[in-house]
Formats: sequence, structure tokens, C-alpha cells
Amino acid sequence: MALSWRLVPGQALLHRGWDGAFVLYNDLSGDTHLLSEDAMTLLLALRDGDVMPEELAAPELTELLATLRQLDLVEPC
Amino acid sequence: MITVASLTRAQLGERLAGPGIHLRTGRFTTLLRSPIGGVADGIHLLYGDYPLHEGFADFHLDLVRPATLRRWLRPQVSLLYDGRSMFKPLPLDQAFPMFEWGLNWCVSSRANRYLIVHAAVVEKGGRAAILPAPPGSGKSTLCAALVGRGGWRLLSDELTLLRLDDGMLHPLPRPISLKNASIGVIRDYVPGSVMSRAVTDTVKGTVAHVRAPADSVARAVETALPAWVVFPRFEAGAAITAEPMPRAETFMQLAQNCFNYSLLGAEGFTALVGLVERSQGYRFRYGVLDEALAFFDSLPAVS
Repeated sequence: MALSWRLVPGQALLHRGWDGAFVLYNDLSGDTHLLSEDAMTLLLALRDGDVMPEELAAPELTELLATLRQLDLVEPC
Repeated sequence: MITVASLTRAQLGERLAGPGIHLRTGRFTTLLRSPIGGVADGIHLLYGDYPLHEGFADFHLDLVRPATLRRWLRPQVSLLYDGRSMFKPLPLDQAFPMFEWGLNWCVSSRANRYLIVHAAVVEKGGRAAILPAPPGSGKSTLCAALVGRGGWRLLSDELTLLRLDDGMLHPLPRPISLKNASIGVIRDYVPGSVMSRAVTDTVKGTVAHVRAPADSVARAVETALPAWVVFPRFEAGAAITAEPMPRAETFMQLAQNCFNYSLLGAEGFTALVGLVERSQGYRFRYGVLDEALAFFDSLPAVS
């Protein structure tokens, strides 16, 4: 398990949300993803440095971080 | 303004076989040349209301008979774009449908100042309904009924053009492409419709094209505001259902129906966000055209 996580450099997190569902443009892959509110909140927190490494290590986030990594949105650091 | 109808069929055939015609469809001009009678027949029948221009052309298309031995046995037609063959030749009988498909390809692969959705789009009262759908969903049948009997203006049967700068929908009124059983359905439902000869055994089955209403052609520079995105699905005899869709899902399904979303990148994303925020999406099932038209007239204004 990684010690910490960060946004993949170059992601501008261009996004828009409606009723708890978000669409996000991935600057690096050119893909667009449909994300939950939890996923979007986590990405924004990573961008803003608003989350501590120990919080990211919580088991509840393991699956979500793995999914975001598969989408090339986050990476371990 | 000189239109195609100002030429007799014979004059049109001579022009097409010689210098060609500068055919204006919406904001695009195509320099079209072809010595093939079926092409002249189709243009004469379905494009009478369209202006003829001189000078610059966005697209240069030639429909010719390839000079191979096959011309003696199974004559074929080739489509040349800028003088180059881009597609496999088709049977000669399919020359006019090939022109229609070729012009769709020109717009969908070249007009990248727009976000282009594979969808029909119709307008009433300045508000537009976009109908994206895969082949076989009843999109073109519904589109032909809406403009033939429902009082809606045809912006396009195939290519919805979303302007990137202001989010308005730009018309591209051209003949409506019908396939297989839809041909008879619309012939019966819109008795006054002008329809090209049905061509059999194409990759899409039997196809015929319906002439766009003259009023829609005359208003080809008049943009419309997007208001509804309706994903239609025809099921014979089915009761009508219209399920409102969440915006995020509407966005994702629209993106999947775009020709150049990926090419436009963040600009395409932003344009599509604007479209979705101005529109209400519906998952729509219909089995009876009268009921479908009544639904479209009941669409609530989007705040």
C-alpha cells in the first residue's frame, strides 16, 4: 500500500456535477469519466492539499484510490 | 438567388458532368461533379430549393465510375474527396446514397469548429430537440414524422452541429435518410413527402431519402437553442414512455454519440456541459407516431 497519493501532474480536474454525479475530463488520456461525489471530493482534496497521508491510508479509501489510479487520475507518491 | 430548381434536369446533368455545381447546404458549399445519371436524378428531385454558389467550396466531391474491368459486369461508383478515393467503390445503383453518405463524412470529419453529435435535431418556437440514437432506433422515422406532420423545423436528420462559441445549434437541413420498413411507414404517414427511389442491398439495407421541407431549407442560417435531448427507441405497438434522465447520464450518452468529442478535448467537454445544462434529457420509447408527436408537443420548457 502506498504511503501517500497525489494527483497525476497535468490534471486540471475540469469537471461538472449535477445531483451528486460528476463528469470529469481527463487532460492526459482525453477520456471523460462519470464519478461519484465521494470520488470528486477526494480528487479536489488531493489537488488542494486538504487531506493527510494517514487519512488516505484508511481502508475505506483503498478501493476508491485504486479505481482513480486505474483512470490515471492519481498516483502513489 | 439561383437554386438547383432553376436548372432543368438536362441542364443539371450537363453541369454535373462538366464543371460541376457549387451546392450550398447550410453553411457548407460542396463542389459536386458526376456524370452518373442517378446522382443528377437525386439532386434534381431532392435539392431543388438549395442555392447554387460560385467560388470557394468547403468540399470537393466527384462520383465517378472506376475504370476497371468490373465496369462491364457489375458497374460501380467511386467517391473522390479532393480527387482521392477514400472509400470502397459501391454498386452503381447506390451512387446517390453514396453522395449523401460522403457529404455526411465530409462534415463529420472536417467541421471541427462545431461539436458534432450523431443525432437528428428539430426545432419549434426557437427551441430544439436533439435525438441521438444508434441505427435502428427509429430516429430518422421520428424525425421525418416531426417535420412532415408535426410542424417542427428540420435542422438535421443526421448531424447536430453545436457551435463552440455560443452553444447554439446550427442547421444543416438535408434529405432525411430512411431505411427498410421506415420507407413505407413515412410514405403512408406523410403522404405529400417527396422521396427518392428506394435503393436495395446497401450496407444499410434498402434506403430512400426524403426531401427536406422548403421552409427548413430557407431557414438554414437560423440557429436554435437546445432544450431537450430525447433518446428514442421504437418498439412496434409499445406504449409510449418518457423517463427523465439525470444530467450526468445525458452527458455521457451524448459524448458517446459525438463524432469529434475526443478531438476537441476540453473545448468539447465545456461545450457539452453547456448543452446539457440547457436541456432536459429523456429516455423515450414509442410505438405509434401520433403518440410520439403528441409527446414532443407536450415537452415542457426548460428553465
